Amino acid sequence: MKKQNEKILTILALIVLGILVYLAENNLDAYKLRILNLGAIYVTLAVSLNLIYGFTGQFSLGHAGFMAIGAYVTSLLVLPPYYKEMIYILEPLAWPFTVIHAPFIVALFLSGLFAAIAAFIIGLPVLRLKGDYLGIATLGFAEIIRIIANNIPRVTNGALGIKGIPEFTNLWWTVGVAIVTIYIIKGLIESSYGRALMAIRENEIAAEVIGVNLTYHKVMSFTISAFFAGVAGGLFACLLTTIDPKAFMFVMTFNILIVVVMGGLGSITGTVLAAFLFNFFLEYLRPIEAGFNIGPIKIPQVPGMRMVTFSALLLVVILYKQKGLLGGFEFSWKGFFQFINKLFKNKRSSEGSAM
Amino acid sequence: MELLNVDSITMKFGGLTAVGNFKLKILPGELIGLIGPNGAGKTTVFNMITGIYTPTINKIYFQDRDITGIKPDKIAKAGIARTFQNIRLLENLTVIDNVMIGFHLHLKSNLASAILKFPSYVREEESIYHKSMELLEKVELEKFKLEKAGSLPYGQQRKLEIIRALATGPKLLLLDEPAAGMNPQETKELMSFIQKIQDDFSLSIFLIEHDMKVVMGICRRILVMDYGVTIAEGNPAEIQNNPEVIKAYLGVDANYA
Repeated sequence: MKKQNEKILTILALIVLGILVYLAENNLDAYKLRILNLGAIYVTLAVSLNLIYGFTGQFSLGHAGFMAIGAYVTSLLVLPPYYKEMIYILEPLAWPFTVIHAPFIVALFLSGLFAAIAAFIIGLPVLRLKGDYLGIATLGFAEIIRIIANNIPRVTNGALGIKGIPEFTNLWWTVGVAIVTIYIIKGLIESSYGRALMAIRENEIAAEVIGVNLTYHKVMSFTISAFFAGVAGGLFACLLTTIDPKAFMFVMTFNILIVVVMGGLGSITGTVLAAFLFNFFLEYLRPIEAGFNIGPIKIPQVPGMRMVTFSALLLVVILYKQKGLLGGFEFSWKGFFQFINKLFKNKRSSEGSAM
Repeated sequence: MELLNVDSITMKFGGLTAVGNFKLKILPGELIGLIGPNGAGKTTVFNMITGIYTPTINKIYFQDRDITGIKPDKIAKAGIARTFQNIRLLENLTVIDNVMIGFHLHLKSNLASAILKFPSYVREEESIYHKSMELLEKVELEKFKLEKAGSLPYGQQRKLEIIRALATGPKLLLLDEPAAGMNPQETKELMSFIQKIQDDFSLSIFLIEHDMKVVMGICRRILVMDYGVTIAEGNPAEIQNNPEVIKAYLGVDANYA
């Protein structure tokens, strides 16, 4: 398969995806669109977490914190100034935020930028830690961000949160951002820098003596990861139209972590699949909570039953597929055509034996 | 002018002196051996030269530049490469990736051009690929290029690790027990391989080895350590007849033997 042909196929696939998004936007109801949007936002979040955890091997639990930064930056930028004056009832909004205003795309970019700056600042000291210690430190960072958001009402409106954020987010945005994220992170992984990141994951000391600058590469990976988490936070805010500090509890990070582990550490294809499966399951398991009958047995209404079932499903995945749904598998056009070829050959040979 | 000048360094871990007053000068093109019983501090010397440990006292100079306390990646860039006693390959990466990573420290393209695959980067990546293949051909590993490095047999993993070290373009190569776990035939091949790469890449080599056939066969100068101290230095014949060395290895007074 020639590189040129692969490019053409990719462009065709993107066009098909565009048509699907167009059809979905025009035909599906708000509820289904919400699930798809969340799925696409989770793709961005999980692929970016996979960069730092799955590919670089650094156990980071700070994603909710970076999302929070992105969500607040976007909200403060896209809300019209007169409206901001109205909703800040605890204490008036501090000066620069009262006047600033930016279009959605600029707000999203700045969300990523601020999250990346935060990641750079905390990454320099924190990424010296390894394994669980790094996880605890980054988890602490995310909690600090949430508590700061709770306690500076002049910027964040405190625990009341920000309401009435314009609903700019639609499938075009979420899917678009997810594609850009995948494109950039895949580009990074498949470059010499990506090899250096994986070398760090495999064996830090070996990587260092072959000349991989640990600090530079870890901080780079962490910062890029945080950038996309920030952008996803912005999309999230403009999808839900209301945010408050409670939305960015550590549970948020664990949801993303579940997606990454379910899809397979170090597999972008698996992550994309798992992000959508996760959101579909979370929604379509809702009927279980309402109570139902299995033949003569009556299952009563149990709030939270959905999460129990979900956890059980997750256990099955972890028990039987330790490396995630797809392990280290990655989609490629070459592999795709080999698969199609094999399918046809099997068909032909089975037809042959039937005669 | 010496390539490496280790100026009587000492390494202490708490109250324990792992290496005391270690002195060494390596000239360009030399092949020097370091021997000694287990726990003598040989690998600690390697770790200090490659920047994994910083000596507690005194300094190390490489090409007249003070490299004491510099990070391992900077030392690799300066031109010192090494292998490990317990092989440290990137086991889940392919064989070719293991070699290509060695060229990363000399990469000229920046991050953006690598992510977006600018033509300048693609050209550089291709040249790295070809150079890596040439290195793999030297050890006849080219047909395994897409296998996972961890799945190779032990002897070939050792060769791959040496090749990876060569990919960083070193002037000084440190080999930590390259013949460990090899059978006599493999050891023989390894000896001629070490001499061959020394010529081909005009390297200085400093190696730790327990297999006396290897050390006595290819090193013209040998250092012997025991309990962190250098107890003897000289050519193979001198070392073999040195009473201190015999005492360190056999644990009896040479007179009784």
